[in-house]
Amino acid sequence: MKRYVGRRILLLIPTLFGMSILTFGVSNLTPGDPAFTFASRLANRPATPDEVAQAREDLGLEGGLVTRYVRWAGNAVQGDLGISFSTRLPVRPELVQAAKFTLQLAIPAALLALLIAVPTGVVSAVRRNRPADQVLRVLSLAGASMPSFWLALLLVVLLAVNYSLLPAAGRAGTESYVLPIVTLALAPAAVLARFTRSAVLETLTTEYVVAARAKGAGEAVVVVRHALRNALVPLVTAVGNSLGHLVGGAAVVETVFVWPGIGRLMVEAILQRDYPVIAGIVLYSGAVFAVISLVVDLLYAVIDPRIRVGSDA
Amino acid sequence: MSYVRKVGLVLVLAMVAVACGGGGDGDGGGQAAQPAANQEITVGAGDDQYVREGSSANLAVQPVNANIAETLTYLSPTYEVRPLLAERWEFRAPNTWRFHLRPGVRFHDGQPLNAQAVKATLFDRVAQQRGGGTIKAGPSSAVVVDDLTIDFTPTAPNYRVPEQVVHPSNVVYAPGSDPGNRPIGTGPFRFVEYQPKERLVVERNPDYWGDEAKLSRITFRFYPDANARRLALEAGDVDIILGVSGPDVKGLKSRGFEVPTSPVGSYEAMYANIHGAPPHDILQDNAVRTAISMAIDRRELVENVLEGQATADQTMIPPTALGRHRSKITGSPFDPARARTLLDNAGWRPGADGIREKNGRKLTLQLVSGFGGAEIHRPIPTYLQSQLRNVGIGIDVVERPDSASYQSLIDSGSGDLFLERGSQNDANVGFLPVLLFYTGGSGASAQYTKLFAPGPRFDEIIGPSVTEPDADKAQSIVADAMHQIIDVDHVVIPLAGLFQIYGAKKTVQGFTPHPSFISLRWDGVSLASGR
Repeated sequence: MKRYVGRRILLLIPTLFGMSILTFGVSNLTPGDPAFTFASRLANRPATPDEVAQAREDLGLEGGLVTRYVRWAGNAVQGDLGISFSTRLPVRPELVQAAKFTLQLAIPAALLALLIAVPTGVVSAVRRNRPADQVLRVLSLAGASMPSFWLALLLVVLLAVNYSLLPAAGRAGTESYVLPIVTLALAPAAVLARFTRSAVLETLTTEYVVAARAKGAGEAVVVVRHALRNALVPLVTAVGNSLGHLVGGAAVVETVFVWPGIGRLMVEAILQRDYPVIAGIVLYSGAVFAVISLVVDLLYAVIDPRIRVGSDA
Repeated sequence: MSYVRKVGLVLVLAMVAVACGGGGDGDGGGQAAQPAANQEITVGAGDDQYVREGSSANLAVQPVNANIAETLTYLSPTYEVRPLLAERWEFRAPNTWRFHLRPGVRFHDGQPLNAQAVKATLFDRVAQQRGGGTIKAGPSSAVVVDDLTIDFTPTAPNYRVPEQVVHPSNVVYAPGSDPGNRPIGTGPFRFVEYQPKERLVVERNPDYWGDEAKLSRITFRFYPDANARRLALEAGDVDIILGVSGPDVKGLKSRGFEVPTSPVGSYEAMYANIHGAPPHDILQDNAVRTAISMAIDRRELVENVLEGQATADQTMIPPTALGRHRSKITGSPFDPARARTLLDNAGWRPGADGIREKNGRKLTLQLVSGFGGAEIHRPIPTYLQSQLRNVGIGIDVVERPDSASYQSLIDSGSGDLFLERGSQNDANVGFLPVLLFYTGGSGASAQYTKLFAPGPRFDEIIGPSVTEPDADKAQSIVADAMHQIIDVDHVVIPLAGLFQIYGAKKTVQGFTPHPSFISLRWDGVSLASGR
C-alpha cells in the first residue's frame, strides 16, 4: 500500500510538470498583452507607451517565453509561484487564501449533496417506477440540468431580495454561507442521486440480495447492508469527481455570490491575463484532482475487501 | 391526499412565493434627514482592482476612492479644477508650476502636510515611473520653496499639470506610509481594514482640515458582477451601488430606489481604421466614413437601445469639459438619404442582396467590439448592423470578451471599425486625443495612431494644446481638433455620451454623482434617520 501511494505521488510530478508547460504556453499565447492590460487598468484608459514599457519591466515580461518559463518553473519547485500581475503580491499566499475560502464552501456542499443524494437515490431505487420514484427522478433531472447561475439568482431573488432572510452575496457571518452552499450542492446532489439509484437498482437484482431476502432479512437491512454497500464503489468514483470540481473552484457560483475563492480568482486572472495566477491555479487544480483520485482508489479497498490496491496479484 | 399531490402542492406554493414575494421598497420612506453621530453605510463597489506593491500601489485610492488620500487639486463633477491640498497655483515661465499648499493640514498619523511631504510622496514617487508619468516628473522636477510652497518643473513642456494632478493616481501620502497595505493621507476618512476581494472599511477622520464627514464609517464591498451588485442593493445588504447598467434603471426606480446620474463623462464611439491594408482598407475613403456617421439615428439609439440612459452628444470629450467651446463640434445629422447619395457618388452601388458593391467588392465592414469586454457594449453592435444595412453597408460584428484580446486586434489592424467606451478622468481635455490620434509627439499610443491618426491637419491643430498655459485656450484648441476628427475627417464616429449611474436607498442623502467615479467624494453623504 505504501509503495502504491508513493508511486502515485511520484507520478504527480511529471503530471504537474506537463500541466505547467501547457498552461504557461497556452496562457502566454492567448491574444492580449498583459503589460498593456495592467497599465490600462491602472490608468483607466488605453496606456501610454511609457506606461506599457514600465509595466512590462515591473511584471517581468521581458525575455522570451522559454526563458520566462524556466525562471518561473525554477522558482515554482521551490514553492515560489511568482508575483501576481494584478495585485503585485506573491501568488502562493493569494492562492492559499482563496483555496481556504473555496474549501469553506466545497466541503459542506459535498456533504450536503451526499445527504440529499444517497437517501433520494435509495428511495428512488426501492420504489422504482412508483410515484415517489417518478417525482424524484424529475427533480434530480431538473437539478442536474439547471444552470448554477440561474439557480443562484433564483435563490437570491427569493430568499434575499423578496424575504430578506439571507444576504444576497458576500462573506459576512454564518448566514452568508447558506445560499452558496445550497447552490453548489444541488447539481452534484442531483447527479449523485441518479448514480445512487442506478447503482442500488443493479445490486437489488443480484443473487446475494435475493439470498438475504430469502433468509428473512428485513427490507432496511437488505437495502442498507447488502444493496447500498455494494453500490458504493461506483458512487465513490462519482463523489470524487464532484468533489474535485467543487474544491477546484466554482467560478460561476463564486462570482455570483462574491465569494473570494479559487473560481473567482481564476476568472479575474484570465480577464487580466495574470499568467502567474493562472498557472498557480491550474497546478492547484491538477494536484487536487490527483489527490482526490488517489483517495478514491484507496477507498475502493476499504469499501470492497475484494479489491487490493497496489497488489500485483 | 396522495404523495404526488402533496409534492405538487409544495412546488406550486414555492412558485407562488417567488411570484408574489414582497418587493423591496428601497427602504425608501422618504424619511427626514437627521444625520446622527454614528452613521454607517455600505457601498457596493465593482471589482477589487487595487495594486498592493510597487510604485503603482493604490489601495483605497483607485478605482474605488475611499477619500483617505487627497490630491493637490480636485476634479469637480463639471470638470472644473478646484483647490484641494493646494489652495492656489500659478504658472511661472518657461515651464514651472508653483503650488501653494493649504496650511494647517495634517495626515492621519499627525504629521503635517508640507512641501517636503508633497515632493517625496507625490512628485518624487511619480518620477520613479518610466517617462515620469503623464505629468513628466523627473528626479529634480520638484523643488521645495518653503514649508508650504513647492515648484514643479516637468522634464518636457507640460502646461496641463494642475488639470492632470486631479487624478487620484497623484494623491499625497504621509511620508513613511505604506500605500499598498495601510495608506495614510489627509482625507476625510482614514483606513480601518481591508480584506482582499471582499471589503474595505474606512472611518471618519475627526481632525479633517475641512468640514468633518457626516458618515462615521463606510464599508466598501466588492461585487464584480453588476447583477449581484444590484441584488445586494435590493436585498438591503448595501446602501448605495456604483455602476448601474442602463437596463436596470427602471427596475430600481420602480422598487423605490434612487438612481442618481452624473453629467456625461464617458462616451461610446467607433474609431475608423483609415490606414488599413486589404481587406480593411475601405475606410480610407472619407465618403464612406461620412455616410456611416450620417446613417446612424443616435436619438433612437439613446431612447430605445440605451433606454434613455445616455445623450446623443457627438463628442468623445464630455461637453462640460470643453466649456464654452463645446459647440464647435457639430456632429453628423441623421440623414440616410444623404448617406446613400455619398455612397452612390463614391461608386458603391446596391447589390442584389442590398449590400453595396464596387468593382466586385462588397461594402462589408468588420466592427470590432470588446474594449472593456464585449458585454458592456451590447446591443449597440446589433443596432449599428441594422442601421447601416439600411444604407447598404454590411457589418460583421467581431466580439472579444476582454480588453486584452480586443487590443490584440488593434495591434494587428484586424478590423474596420472599433467600438470603444472611454471616460474623462481628469481635466486635461487634450490627453485622450493626443494619446490616441496625435503623431507629432512621443506620448501617443503607436497601436492606435497606426490605425486611426487622421494626419498633419489634426496634428497641427492639437499640438499646441500641451503647451498652452491658458486652460480656456487649451479647451478651444481641443474643441477645434475634435471638430476636425469628428466633423471633417470622420475618423471618430461618436454614438452617445454616457452618464455614470448609481443606485441608492432613499435614506442616502447628500450623494453627488460624479462622471468620473474615481473622483467621488463621500464626506457630504449622510443617512436619514429611521434607517
